[in-house]
Amino acid sequence: MIPLIGLVVGIVLGLLLEPTLPTVLQPYLPIAIVAALDALFGAFRAYLEGTFTDRVFVVSFVSNVLIAALIVWVGDQIGVGSQLSTGVVVVLGIRIFTNVAAIRRVLFHA
Amino acid sequence: MSAPGSAVRGAGRRPDASMDLLNQILREPVDPDYARVAGAADGPDAPVRPPARGRWAAALVLVLAGTLFAIAALQTDRTAPVAATERSELLTRIGDAETQQDALRLQVDDLNHQIDQLRSVALGDDDASRALEAEIDRLGPAVGQAPVTGPGVVIVVDDASGGADDARDQVLDLDLQVLANGLWASGAEAVAINGHRLSSLTAIRGAGDAITVDYRSLTRPYRVEAIGDPRTLQGRLAESAAGAWWNDLSQNRDMTYTTSDADRLVLDSDPGITLRYAQYGEGVQRR
Repeated sequence: MIPLIGLVVGIVLGLLLEPTLPTVLQPYLPIAIVAALDALFGAFRAYLEGTFTDRVFVVSFVSNVLIAALIVWVGDQIGVGSQLSTGVVVVLGIRIFTNVAAIRRVLFHA
Repeated sequence: MSAPGSAVRGAGRRPDASMDLLNQILREPVDPDYARVAGAADGPDAPVRPPARGRWAAALVLVLAGTLFAIAALQTDRTAPVAATERSELLTRIGDAETQQDALRLQVDDLNHQIDQLRSVALGDDDASRALEAEIDRLGPAVGQAPVTGPGVVIVVDDASGGADDARDQVLDLDLQVLANGLWASGAEAVAINGHRLSSLTAIRGAGDAITVDYRSLTRPYRVEAIGDPRTLQGRLAESAAGAWWNDLSQNRDMTYTTSDADRLVLDSDPGITLRYAQYGEGVQRR
């Protein structure tokens, strides 16, 4: 229950406070969100399989987001930022789909 | 001995070994640490972890995730109107520039008129001057320097109504060039496309999606006006190569091609015409 409440509180906070991200960080926000989604779905699947651990979740979430942003940043520096973003989105997208499919199988037995 | 082992591995190499990255992504979608830590927790040397602190850290991370979503959604929401504003601003600027261009063209027409008056004053009133004036009057309409009024034909052409996505169903710059040349060949004295008078220096070109005449882009449909003998112009055009070209386009490509007579057409002069070369005539005295 706590995770869901945390997520909702975060969304409400973001909508109410409307924090502005520094312009430098703005290009990395979408990719960071895809990475965050991947970590979230991975954690949910682990939770359903009974192997969820808070510590692993926190570490994987933070490192996922940072590494995704870092990859895009490095890509921007060497001029292949958009291609690397595409690569990150493809890889994380595949993982998200696989995880969601597994979650669906556990939840609905279908 | 590693040789036999590597030989066996080489023989048993899976056909999709080169795609191992994708396979790994598919096989290990969940962080393997979850399984490892969970396995260690069940083991005899299970670490004593503080559950409360970990849970709060996880909750904090989830709050962070929610905030990230909200920020991104707000940002996308905020940048959309900015792009729309920029677009409309650009459109306004284009409109302003075109208005200014029109004003400048009017000014050019006005100045050309003044030049005409000054020229007739400067030429004086002797026989040679009158002959020159007559020649200017005769050539002016033909080269597009003077506005022309008279009967003629109006031809309206347009892209095919249905599949205008196909470039072959669209009117191209070449099609308008052929039509204009056909009209000249059929005896037209003056031709204008969408109000832009054609002269021997006018370029009909394709620029991006639009056709430009005199470097001004046209909007569909294209209205081609030609002044000439209304009794023969239409018939001669139909018999010419341009007529055949457009018949083919209208029948096989379903493009609009309608021809009609007009009793009175007014074609402005081509503002692009400037004096590039001048020479003292023989019968004219230097002043």
